[in-house]
Amino acid sequence: MAKTLTDTSVAEIEAWLEEHRNHEQPSQRTSVATHMAWIPDEWSRAAAGVMRGLGDRVPSRTLLLHPEPDAKGDGFDATITVDRFAGERSGVSVEIVQIRLRGSAAEAPASVVVPLQLPDLPVFLRWRGRPAFGRKYYEDLVGVADRLIVDSTEWDRLPSGLKKLSESFHCIAVSDLAWARTLPWRASIADLWPGIKEAKTLRVVGPRPEALLMRAWLESRLRRTFRLSHEDGAKLTRVEVDGEAVAPTRGLPCTPSDLLSAELEFFARDRVYEAAVRAV
Amino acid sequence: MTKNPLAEGLRVPRTPDPCVVVIFGASGDLTKRKLFPAIYSLAHRNLLPDEFAIVGVARTPESDAQFRRRMKDAVRTFGRDPIDEKVWKRLASGMHYVATDFAAERGEDELFDLLTKLDRERGTAGNRVFYFAVPPSAIATLVEELGRRRGEWKGWTRLIIEKPFGHDRASARRLREDAHRYFNEREVYRIDHYLGKETVQNILALRFANGIFEPLWNRELVDHVEITVAESMGIEGRAQFYEAAGAIRDVFQNHLLQLVALTAMEPPVDFTAESVRNEKVKVLSAIRPPGARRVVRGQYGPGHVEGKKVPGYRQEPGVAARSTTETFVAAKLYVDNWRWAGTPFYVRVGKRLATRETTIAIQFKRAPHPPFAREASEGVSPNVLLVHIQPDEGISLAIGAKVPGQGLNLRTVHMDFLYGGAFRTELPEAYERLILDCMLGDATLFTREDEVDAQWALVDSIVASWKRERAAFPNYEAGTWGPHAADELLRKDGRAWRRH
Repeated sequence: MAKTLTDTSVAEIEAWLEEHRNHEQPSQRTSVATHMAWIPDEWSRAAAGVMRGLGDRVPSRTLLLHPEPDAKGDGFDATITVDRFAGERSGVSVEIVQIRLRGSAAEAPASVVVPLQLPDLPVFLRWRGRPAFGRKYYEDLVGVADRLIVDSTEWDRLPSGLKKLSESFHCIAVSDLAWARTLPWRASIADLWPGIKEAKTLRVVGPRPEALLMRAWLESRLRRTFRLSHEDGAKLTRVEVDGEAVAPTRGLPCTPSDLLSAELEFFARDRVYEAAVRAV
Repeated sequence: MTKNPLAEGLRVPRTPDPCVVVIFGASGDLTKRKLFPAIYSLAHRNLLPDEFAIVGVARTPESDAQFRRRMKDAVRTFGRDPIDEKVWKRLASGMHYVATDFAAERGEDELFDLLTKLDRERGTAGNRVFYFAVPPSAIATLVEELGRRRGEWKGWTRLIIEKPFGHDRASARRLREDAHRYFNEREVYRIDHYLGKETVQNILALRFANGIFEPLWNRELVDHVEITVAESMGIEGRAQFYEAAGAIRDVFQNHLLQLVALTAMEPPVDFTAESVRNEKVKVLSAIRPPGARRVVRGQYGPGHVEGKKVPGYRQEPGVAARSTTETFVAAKLYVDNWRWAGTPFYVRVGKRLATRETTIAIQFKRAPHPPFAREASEGVSPNVLLVHIQPDEGISLAIGAKVPGQGLNLRTVHMDFLYGGAFRTELPEAYERLILDCMLGDATLFTREDEVDAQWALVDSIVASWKRERAAFPNYEAGTWGPHAADELLRKDGRAWRRH
């Protein structure tokens, strides 16, 4: 069931959700989080794919924010979808509110999302593309979230971006999907302990951010330098330590939806990641 | 050795050491319905080590290929995951079958030769899980033979023993002594699959992760506790077992008393096996033997379950025409300790009851002085915190609320939390969790010898009291909530079983 509200208000969105809830068949409604996503136009298609894959895994209210600062008129439009997923004995409903922030509303997204967040539950903010470090709308959204989820492979100017990101560590827990994708390899490299203490080189075939993060991880954990040889690739496909190939550990999340779903389960700061970012 | 700094912060599930799982009773029902589907699901989720093998042992002749085919069918029929050919191929490559009789001279040689070969060829490192999916009478022989050859492998050994752990306290102690002659307690994993259920473990989460409940969880504020383990089905062709066991040994001695222990235990200092089990055994040891007047036994006669006519227990195939085996037990228990002194725990287990349901109800005392007109609050019952173990896993809290409209009329309403509504991950089967825990060496959800001993001490005292009086069976109709005497047990105290 979907409803589009043009030039709407938070009250109108809330009223529609409330009315929908009242007409729903009696069923279980449990939410575990508010999931916000900042989705500039160029990321819309990719974001939609991830959302479809996420399905009912994290019963939440999802607020998808599409900034259109150049659009005419200040205000916002909303498309509300309630997806109901049948369960063995009970179903769950996932509320997805797509909000197009027009004009100056794109500069003040927090004022729209705060009233729509579910009370007392954790708030995740998925930021598509490079975060707008230093911009008020970014700082405001970070200020109303508990965990920021980024993917540093979506950025250009990488080392400087990670440096900027590290400045947020004191105020918000951060997940980086690029870091999450290295987990199967990091798990296997960890199994090389204690022999790896003497290793000198790391070769990575895959995206540069992932290569940099893996080297930084090794350096920050083992407190010494590694020589990185990197060959660019769309996906992380090969990792070698001192010329020996490492096989990724099986069974860990790998699709974009799996990765995001896994990150929505974590609440605490990832100190190992933070140390790696500082070492990049 | 220095701690591995690379392992810190890795969010990966723990994988067990390389090992072989040997299933005794590989041709039996448990292996087919539960064990193999569970092992396959573990493989499906990549939770088994790469160096892994399974050996099925039974007397029935069968080849490796036949065993693999039969188990694949079992996974297809009883498993929760569809067969993934790649996963199956990997698992099947380590599956073997040994047809032997351990009671025969050198009957075990073929198995030990195979295990040595698997260590060499599959790198299973001499680590062995021996799963006894066999009748209790066969366990002593197996333990004896394994024990005699214990020195032949270098890795760790773990024995998984299925309930019932004996028939009474004396036989349980004999079983323990047999095992301890060759294996220490840390190597013995007594499996009560109830403890592997997510919702049973959730009792601990509910109690010890929520600051709001624990201050209320005591004799000062709890009026009484009700625990029901009800089944609507009959004995399902298990007459031979059930005639000897009855409801008291089949469910009361293990599942039910474990639920009492988890409900009443003190907070453990940590979640290690020893800390949790130390607290459980204190509760079990503090339960006062109830005496004949506080126990009701019953046996179902013919009746209707869900609209279908069902026979009485004595008409079930294989049951003696004048059987005095109980299919229902209710009791009023007291846990004699500081927290619970004087608070009754009403418990009941039974077959062919009105519905299938396992629940723990914590009924709180009434508000001391409700400032409402008597008529207005007639519809309000005391608060009840209800933990649903099965079938609808969850928690609900009954509270009083105002009926909308004029005046101030009150009614009881329920705040419900259904487990599956918040966590969409499919709940793992109890056997998956327990087999994996055993391979990982985590005995938290297994029953320790002193728990078993305390459970039998209580059950023996009840059974002894029954011997003094012949039961007038059958005394309840199938499809009802048991004999009237069970209702009387609470009515005498001015209480009643919860309405379902």
